Amino acid sequence: MPDVRIGVDTGGTFTDLVRFGADGISVHKVRSTPDDPSRAILDGLGDVATVGSGLDVVHGSTVATNAVLERRGARVALVATAGFEDVVRIGRQTRRSLYDLMQEDRQPLVDPALTVGCRERLAADGQSLIALEEEEIARIVARVAASGATAVAVCLLHSYRNPSHEERLAEALEAAGLIVSTSSRVLREYREYERWSTTIVDAYVTPIMATYLGALERRLAGDRVAVMQSNGGTISAGAAKAAAVRTILSGPAGGAVGARAVADAAGHARVISFDMGGTSTDVCLIDGGIPTTADTIVGDVPVRLPVIDIHSVGAGGGSIVYVDSGGALRVGPRSAGAVPGPVCYGTGTELTVTDANLLLGRLDPDQFLGGRMALDVDRARGVARELARRVELDEAALVEGVVRIANASMERAIRVVSVQRGFDPRDFALLAFGGVGGMHACAIAETLDIATVIVPRHAGVLSALGMLLADVVKDYALTILRAGDAVGAAELETLFAPLVERAARDLAAEGVAPDRTQIERRLDVRYVGQSYELTVPMAVEFRDEFDRRHARTYGYANPRRPIEVVTLRVVAVGRVEAPALPRVEAAPSVAEPYGVRDARFGGALTPTGFYRWTDLAVGAAGQGPAVIAGGEATVVVPPGFAFRLDPFANLIATRSAR
Amino acid sequence: MRIDPIAFEVFSNLFVSVAEEMGVTLCRTSFSPNIKERLDYSCAIYDAAGETIAQGDHMPVHLGAMPLSVRAAIDRGPMAPGDVVVLNDPFRGGTHLPDITMVSPVFLGSARRPAFYVANRAHHSDVGGMSPGSMPLAREIFQEGLIIPPVTLVRRGAMVEDVLAMILTNVRTPDEREGDLTAQIAANRVAERRLREIVAKYGARTVAAYAAAAQDHTERVLRATVAAIPDGAYAFEDRLDDDGFSPDPITIRVRITIAGDGAVVDFTGSDPQTTGGVNANFAITLSATLYAFRCLVREDVLYNAGIARVVQVVAPAGTIVNAVRPSAVAGGNVEASQRITDVVLGALARALPDRLPAASQGTMNNVTLGGRHPGTGRPFAYYETIGGGMGARPGRDGISGVHTHMSNTRNTPIEAIEHYLPVRVLRYAIREGSGGAGRWRGGDGIVREYEALTETDVTVLSDRRVGAPYGAQGGAPGQCGRNTLIRDGVETPLPGKVRLTLGPGDRLRIESPGGGGYGRAE
Repeated sequence: MPDVRIGVDTGGTFTDLVRFGADGISVHKVRSTPDDPSRAILDGLGDVATVGSGLDVVHGSTVATNAVLERRGARVALVATAGFEDVVRIGRQTRRSLYDLMQEDRQPLVDPALTVGCRERLAADGQSLIALEEEEIARIVARVAASGATAVAVCLLHSYRNPSHEERLAEALEAAGLIVSTSSRVLREYREYERWSTTIVDAYVTPIMATYLGALERRLAGDRVAVMQSNGGTISAGAAKAAAVRTILSGPAGGAVGARAVADAAGHARVISFDMGGTSTDVCLIDGGIPTTADTIVGDVPVRLPVIDIHSVGAGGGSIVYVDSGGALRVGPRSAGAVPGPVCYGTGTELTVTDANLLLGRLDPDQFLGGRMALDVDRARGVARELARRVELDEAALVEGVVRIANASMERAIRVVSVQRGFDPRDFALLAFGGVGGMHACAIAETLDIATVIVPRHAGVLSALGMLLADVVKDYALTILRAGDAVGAAELETLFAPLVERAARDLAAEGVAPDRTQIERRLDVRYVGQSYELTVPMAVEFRDEFDRRHARTYGYANPRRPIEVVTLRVVAVGRVEAPALPRVEAAPSVAEPYGVRDARFGGALTPTGFYRWTDLAVGAAGQGPAVIAGGEATVVVPPGFAFRLDPFANLIATRSAR
Repeated sequence: MRIDPIAFEVFSNLFVSVAEEMGVTLCRTSFSPNIKERLDYSCAIYDAAGETIAQGDHMPVHLGAMPLSVRAAIDRGPMAPGDVVVLNDPFRGGTHLPDITMVSPVFLGSARRPAFYVANRAHHSDVGGMSPGSMPLAREIFQEGLIIPPVTLVRRGAMVEDVLAMILTNVRTPDEREGDLTAQIAANRVAERRLREIVAKYGARTVAAYAAAAQDHTERVLRATVAAIPDGAYAFEDRLDDDGFSPDPITIRVRITIAGDGAVVDFTGSDPQTTGGVNANFAITLSATLYAFRCLVREDVLYNAGIARVVQVVAPAGTIVNAVRPSAVAGGNVEASQRITDVVLGALARALPDRLPAASQGTMNNVTLGGRHPGTGRPFAYYETIGGGMGARPGRDGISGVHTHMSNTRNTPIEAIEHYLPVRVLRYAIREGSGGAGRWRGGDGIVREYEALTETDVTVLSDRRVGAPYGAQGGAPGQCGRNTLIRDGVETPLPGKVRLTLGPGDRLRIESPGGGGYGRAE
């Protein structure tokens, strides 16, 4: 294991670095350089280590995501089965909003003029109905080469069953010097629109990622560069260049991995992570392992690869408060963002959740961002008064209400990942991070009957920390669509064998030693006739487990109803020698506030202790109401909660017995 | 009780999340492609009087119709805790027969009357009748499938096996039906449990007060929207091509009177109900009208009973917009509903020409396929609808290849169709150039072509094959749709509404209409 391992998370404003070496963990932030993100990375690395000294750098970036969201990807040609060139344009033939007559059209990633129909056709069982002739291949290569496209997506019907036509096209296109993504390599699963869309995204981001990662590797010659993937694991930069679509949601994935590691160390295997930022909030339910889903949409483009199952809502600290035409008070989804920002920053004119927190006395206006930015309380109060007058409330009730409304949409998001998936939130701890997570977490925990809130010591760089701690993970899938009673355990073993073999080979290529390799086999199963599957571990009695999970998730099961095995999945994990989070044992002590100020809780002004996180020793404990600021996050501990600093310097808030 | 605007917003979130959680259970555990793939369902919660508190953003055509189901279930007689009432009778709370609705009461504590009702409606793949898929060209409702008046399917938590057997015996794919009915019951159970939790936490009186406040709020928002429309009377008419039996068009006429913050939408003067099944019952006319008004609201509001308080709908009995028993109605829900939307939006455009679009495709292009699997002899029944062109908007082209207005159902993946059915899809494409010209162009329709691999019974129920989707403010109409049979290489045009048998190798091509253009082309 190299001596120094560094997690680097490139965000819109800051690039976060977490360095782990013999001397423990250190954190560093530099301004991002959006025109060339690698510059900030290089600068930041230079600040904390010697570049080129054999560093182990794990990187998560938004390069691929932004390319899709801002439509700045490669000029992609699409080769599709003739007659089906418009499948991705039509999508699922639905409109995004039921009632919005003025809604915008979707913006395709592929220019329709760059779409080429290919004369070939496979049947559902993989048999060839129309053979793919050599002349047709030559015609397509010529058309694509003349089109000026830099990357090609090859998308044929039923290729998940028989990839041979796609392979032959790919071979010829690659020989002509084109970068090729085929749908059967990217995602060997049925449902043409989602598979093709994922493949197009891959082609769209591959050239950009290849250039970006290539430059990064050159600048970091002598170091080992790995990239965070959306599935919560890392792969080498070399492998990432060939599977760019897999890195598309690497930032949030790092956060979930970091949340799990912190929670695990703190003795909580079951947590709901709650990442509340300025404009949006991400929640993820971690039940021992980190759940993945294949139902992801980037902007308006489906990507059906395993992605950490994170639910996002458009509400955060910058969400704007307004009165609608029916006289109701609403919060979000419009956000003041960084510019103009909340009213108290001095430029914004519309009240935000952050303003409300300030007016409740839950932020120390002189200690914001470590005292580097003073907040304008009077300015915020003026706007709040005007709004309060319009809804006939007093100002105090209004601002407390704004926070309650924001919390209600957070609670709804948490219900989506817990109750809707068959979990009881009371069995979990709430792990809050992001800029404002700690200010809302206790109140949300109270409504959802959650006993414990954890705010990590490194709440401001949890994603970079997660990258540092992440394992190498590769996943593989193969749709088989077989009746459960027709496919026995022996046949499943045979079908799994090539996937497992490939997984082992790929992990070895990543430099993972066999004794650190762990290969899991899973089955996507449903009742014959359903369209949504549940994933169960491969085992002889997988049927029973499926019935159990169906009952838990949806409230009923029918053990007599025939089942269908839809997709085989292999997840290969190369466990890294993850650094242990530094742990300090200390005797309990009483936390000392730096000041006592009035803050509003439950309709009453209450003397509240204000603490500086960095002044608190491990083992320090206190009672709410309290505000702990000055660390990487601010934590509001309401009355009825106690708090303490655990051996990892995380802040743990617990509800006192009722 | 004083309504606190803060608690109001908290409760609105809770009410919507109940409807959403019902939808997740229904969609993920159902068996009909219509429910699980196409998402043709709706879920909602109701107050003690059966008025909607919140309905999920699911299917517009169910908007005004669902409360009438709850009403029909209540009118039938008292329900007990744990009961589920099932129905599909279009003249007692239903829309068309494949839409089966389940209504459950929610009792609190030892109360003798329900405090809430919950309901969901889902489009089943087959409910018997003269053709597979139960969307036939029928002359009377008895041919369209099994009619289920409001009856108790679950009594005090236990399935009434006799009723279930009665239903399953009358349909072509009973296993699938049983699975779907189970999923629907499970969805209602989710909502019952959630409402009970909410009441346990906040108290029954408070929850009821905020449910009423949610209805009042939606009413206020809609009143503000209607008040912004200039007072006056605005008339419009348009036609359905035919009813599948006679070549005569069927005219739907509307006159909308806006006075202050209220609207009267009067369909007097519309043609009498017809022989074929394009008749709309009152529930559908109400849904289509309320949908059009909901589109005028620019804010995100709960869909609930508040809307119906602002818009009064007059539809004479025995006409195409308020058909009476025993008329056939399979196409009312899917075709007449679209034309009713077209005329209501067309009339509103007289008042708001700068805000409303040209006509969208105005049909759902319903295709039902049925027969027996060649290998196993097992019956299959499959139904789908095809998107088309959206009408051009002031300032924006119409979108191509989407469902518009009263439907928003998804397509079924071709790889799924070909895996499960003896059918091959030969082409699925945008029908280039079919949108109407104009300053802003109408969206293009879709071309979808099928090949039968075995003897297949086909019903096509489509419109806008004769009368084109209108353009607005000088824009050109969209192109009409076209249905074509291709047998032994010979193309034969088919009518908009047709039933035929395809032999192996026969092909059916559906070209859906384009949307109308907006404004004169430069």
